[in-house]
Amino acid sequence: MAGNSLKKYNRIYVALLILFIVSVLGPEIADIFGMEGLSRMALILPTAFGIAIVKAYMVAAHFMHLKTEKIYAPYILLVSLALMVVFFFGVKIDIMASEGHNWEKPYKEPTESSASHHGDHSESHDDDH
Amino acid sequence: MAEVATADVSHDDHHHEHEQTFWSKYVFSTDHKIIGFQYLFTGIAMAIIGGYFAYVFRMQLAFPGSSVPFFGIVSPSAYNSLVTNHGTIMIFWVAMPVLIAAMGNFLIPLMIGCDDMVFPRVNRLSYQIFLLSAIVLIASFFVPGGGFGGAWTAYPPLSALAKYNATPFGAPMWLIAVALEIVAFLLGGINFITTAMNARAKGMRMYDIPIVVWMIVIASMLFMASVGPLVAGAVMLLFDQTLGTTFFDASAGGDPVLWQHLFWFFGHPEVYVVLLPAMGIVAEVMCTFARKKLFGYKLILYATVGLGILSFFVWAHHQFISGVDPRAAYLFTTTTLLISIPVAIMLFAYIATLYGGSIQFTTAMLFALSFLAEFLIGGVTGIWLGSSGTDIYLHDTYFVLAHFHYTFFPIAIIGTFTAIYYWYPKMFGRMMNETWGKIHFWGTIIAFNGIFLPLFFLGAAGQHRRIYNYQNFPDLAGDNMQDLRVFATISLVIMLLFQIPFVINFIVSLKRGKKAGKNPWKANTLEWVAPSPPPHGNFPDGMPEVYRGPYEFAHPDREDDYWPQNEPGNQKPANK
Repeated sequence: MAGNSLKKYNRIYVALLILFIVSVLGPEIADIFGMEGLSRMALILPTAFGIAIVKAYMVAAHFMHLKTEKIYAPYILLVSLALMVVFFFGVKIDIMASEGHNWEKPYKEPTESSASHHGDHSESHDDDH
Repeated sequence: MAEVATADVSHDDHHHEHEQTFWSKYVFSTDHKIIGFQYLFTGIAMAIIGGYFAYVFRMQLAFPGSSVPFFGIVSPSAYNSLVTNHGTIMIFWVAMPVLIAAMGNFLIPLMIGCDDMVFPRVNRLSYQIFLLSAIVLIASFFVPGGGFGGAWTAYPPLSALAKYNATPFGAPMWLIAVALEIVAFLLGGINFITTAMNARAKGMRMYDIPIVVWMIVIASMLFMASVGPLVAGAVMLLFDQTLGTTFFDASAGGDPVLWQHLFWFFGHPEVYVVLLPAMGIVAEVMCTFARKKLFGYKLILYATVGLGILSFFVWAHHQFISGVDPRAAYLFTTTTLLISIPVAIMLFAYIATLYGGSIQFTTAMLFALSFLAEFLIGGVTGIWLGSSGTDIYLHDTYFVLAHFHYTFFPIAIIGTFTAIYYWYPKMFGRMMNETWGKIHFWGTIIAFNGIFLPLFFLGAAGQHRRIYNYQNFPDLAGDNMQDLRVFATISLVIMLLFQIPFVINFIVSLKRGKKAGKNPWKANTLEWVAPSPPPHGNFPDGMPEVYRGPYEFAHPDREDDYWPQNEPGNQKPANK
């Protein structure tokens, strides 16, 4: 029993590794061949994002045991994903819009002169990593 | 799958538990009942602190500038801190631990007929983290600068920068305390859901589960689904306060409204997280004391699920005047008005439960009935606040304050008293004194209305919240308005004094109360099968089996007017 499941997990691990390599290769190939526009999207979307979804499903189903759980466990997970979408679109209209009727929210790039010390702080952090 | 607990997994342990020391029995216990009591008594202790805060700032509002007995002169920053922490304590450290954690821990294993929670150690960890969070919060009152004073909603930019809120230590400690408290309830919620789903007694189908267990489980699910944004927001706010990030700082490209979304996406389901257990408690008590089957068990259950789903679509009604997109106001007004439908269904089903019953006015029943009446006032006044038009006028006035106290007081205080008066015999094996209970009831309810009815008038007259001294505002300092404030404050003092009979009754009954026996109220659910108080493992006479639904009162096939869930009968009445 234990040996069997270990084998299964190893197989999934190898599958995840292969998928990971594919998801890295896809965008790399798009860059190497200098693809632009639709063909670039056609290559990158499935290889990067499509495979990410497959990998997330495999991790959730096997390593998080959702396949062997009672059916309400995956439902709870799906509900929380749905709520994330609700939250995103509820907030999007306020936070991410930069203009509307009679108002606008200009974004100011922090510059040397106008940036507060907070801005500098986060900038230097980015450089470090 | 092997570690999923079944109803009688730890039966062999029963012989080891007698030599436990005080520490292992009451402090580091993994017994769900002891953990429930820990939550209950911590919650009551925090309620005393929160009530004391309310007393101090109400005295300041009624008699501004004078020295408050047992406190002294209230400074403006102390006033802010008192108001903020009154709200925080009453919601996070009183309503949540008592209604969800204490009642969930005590009731769920007993009511579904199993011997303990499925994760007893996680359960203990949950309480320990909760206790730590309470200590952090209390400690934050004594650090330099004092406790956080930016309201329990902690809106930035006020909460984000110490130069605005002047509490460089209090504000981060407040946030850490809230985050820890949330961790505690997530651990507890996992336990409640898993226990109710996996460890039910043999024969207990989904629709045989007592409604209060359903309510606590659904509330735990709402909590788990809603709390993510708040935790994320709390970490971001903590970074803003301590590390100098600018998530919510508009001067550097951040957005303070983002916090309001993060907070209220959690904050509004949170209202229902505490409402549902109270509704469940009231349903149990009303069925037992009306000797009637719960009207529309499935209807109530589905309405609850609908309420839970809708509660995720209403959060921005707290932000109508915060500068959110006005088009969103249409949407959120509509959903807010829609959410009154499931609540109304539940209240009507409860009233229909009473119809034709043979009602016994015990103290628990009086509290349950007053819950319906008071919560109705709270719910109906919410209609005006949920409509974006009227909310523009009423927002941030005492009308809002009176509205949510008419919802939260029935939930947190009346719901708690209902539960304590009803389950006290099961918790401690003795009855509470009914006469003193009724004195406590009338003193609490009348004084409660004396506090908050005047605040509706004050709010409609334009009295803004969060003002330290109304004498500084000539429009709000008139004699009539000040008289109402004094009336509300005196009512509060009376209500607090009427809690003394309760405390004395509680303590005296522990030793002197009449022995309760197994089933003093002649109720049906499984907790009344266990001895009072239940020993470790709950059911020493063998685990109960369930043959019928939880509310088979006055069944025509039976002479007794109650029919416990575990008694075999020749037929199984359909409760589907």
